[in-house]
Amino acid sequence: MAMPPMLEIVNLQKSFGNREILKGISFKVYKGEMLGLIGPSGCGKSTILKLICDLLTPDGGEVIRWSDEIGLVFQGSALLNSYTVRENLALALNQRKLKKSDENKIIDDKLKLVGLAGYADAYPSQLSGGQQKRTSFARAIVNDPKIILYDEPTTGLDPVMSTVIEDYMLELSGQLDAASIVVTHQYSTWTRCASRILLMHAGKAVWEGSAEEAVVTENPYMKQFAHATREGPMLSGLL
Amino acid sequence: MTSTLKKPRHKKALLMPLFFVEGQVAVGVELIGQVVSMWFKTMGYIIRGDFDKKEAWRQSYMIGVKSFTVVAITALCTGFAMSLQISRELVLFGADTAIGGVVSLALVREIGPITAGVMVAGRVGSSVAAELATMVITEQIDALKVMRVDPIRFLVVPRYIAGLTMTLVLSVYAMAIGLLAGIYIASIAANLPAATFLDSVHQTILDRDFVTHFIKSEINATIIVMFSCAIGLHTRGGAEDVGIATTRTIVWTMTLIFVFNYIVTSLTYAPR
Ligand SMILES: Nc1ncnc2c1ncn2[C@@H]1O[C@H](COP(=O)(O)OP(=O)(O)O)[C@@H](O)[C@H]1O
Ligand SMILES: [Mg+2]
Repeated sequence: MAMPPMLEIVNLQKSFGNREILKGISFKVYKGEMLGLIGPSGCGKSTILKLICDLLTPDGGEVIRWSDEIGLVFQGSALLNSYTVRENLALALNQRKLKKSDENKIIDDKLKLVGLAGYADAYPSQLSGGQQKRTSFARAIVNDPKIILYDEPTTGLDPVMSTVIEDYMLELSGQLDAASIVVTHQYSTWTRCASRILLMHAGKAVWEGSAEEAVVTENPYMKQFAHATREGPMLSGLL
Repeated sequence: MTSTLKKPRHKKALLMPLFFVEGQVAVGVELIGQVVSMWFKTMGYIIRGDFDKKEAWRQSYMIGVKSFTVVAITALCTGFAMSLQISRELVLFGADTAIGGVVSLALVREIGPITAGVMVAGRVGSSVAAELATMVITEQIDALKVMRVDPIRFLVVPRYIAGLTMTLVLSVYAMAIGLLAGIYIASIAANLPAATFLDSVHQTILDRDFVTHFIKSEINATIIVMFSCAIGLHTRGGAEDVGIATTRTIVWTMTLIFVFNYIVTSLTYAPR
């Protein structure tokens, strides 16, 4: 691609205690594309997202962002329980010191976008799982971020709700023309949403390509992951 | 062969408690560091007036409501018990006119702040620690940070303001309830009129006793809020760690309430 990337990860390294989780991983994400970051549980996908958002500091390498406005959708929604949907979204707007009426207008717009108009005064506990997820989408995009990160957005949802959520991701990222990363295990999610796939294993990137290539490639890692077989280099020694 | 193997093992077993203590000290020092740094940051926000007044009100209401009943019941029962013991002894010496003074001294200087502190620690400290620890493990704290909301300004400051004001209010309630309980028991057990009791209170209690009482209350509030918030916000792991955080908060706050109670007593104690 000719355009400069929105987000660049350069040789990122991170250990927790003496466990090396990321052993130097590099990739770029461009405006308007959605990178599917896939790999076995515990391989450090969420850690990468947290490093991108400054929730963790890297031991080595760097994260270069061409926008400070980042939206992160947490795996468990992470809505504040004791606040209403409106208050949750307002919190994300706190830095902008808007007038109350402007703030409410933005919040109502974003809630409408995720099909939750009329839920502004509900508490998270009164919402279904899918509604909570959509609320956390609305919160992540309330500042019109140019970088959006989704951590396992469809894990634990039923197939129909997964499709609904995938559609929202495509729509939101498309509308904002943002650079997005979706971390997922779910086959439907990475085949439907991701324009490019990066497969991680043991702290490194082991395969990169399009979703179409991912399902036909002979790369042993990608082949094993895409076809969910026991035979292959992943988890060797653990099975 | 067996004897050479056994000896070092035996030695190690003897040293086990020491290793345990060493680990505890390191963890304790780390926690105290976290508390001190959190207190300075919190005070910074309070001095600048940079906090959410509505949230401070909400927290005050929650702390007040949660604690009022338990503090009232314990104050009532300590008032009863103290008055019963003291009445019996002083009547024996024919010193019934001193009953009010002795009961109120004990309540105002020592027992009042301690019981209220321990009850608030059990009721509020544990729930704050559990609440914040849950927020950590469900990534709500991370969500705040991504939104550039400082958890100390947003969560700790309103709770600290609420703790400082509500322990004052609660301690006044506790004193009043304890005193009424004392008057009631003295009138039954020693046949002492309320007026005599109050007269004795009036002659015995000095302004500085109230000052001591309020200092102790505010120190208790600081211990309870700062330790519960620091332990809660530094929790890592899963659901079982919420329980551990709660227990740890109870142990630390209750122990320190007794330690600081003695420190303040020794600093403010003056012979008459
Ligand atoms: N704050 C932390 N402290 C210690 N270990 C952690 C921490 N965060 C994650 N880990 C460990 O790092 C590994 C990678 O975690 P994560 O990035 O969440 O994996 P995943 O790819 O499933 O999202 C896991 O083994 C996890 O236990
Ligand atoms: Mg994860």
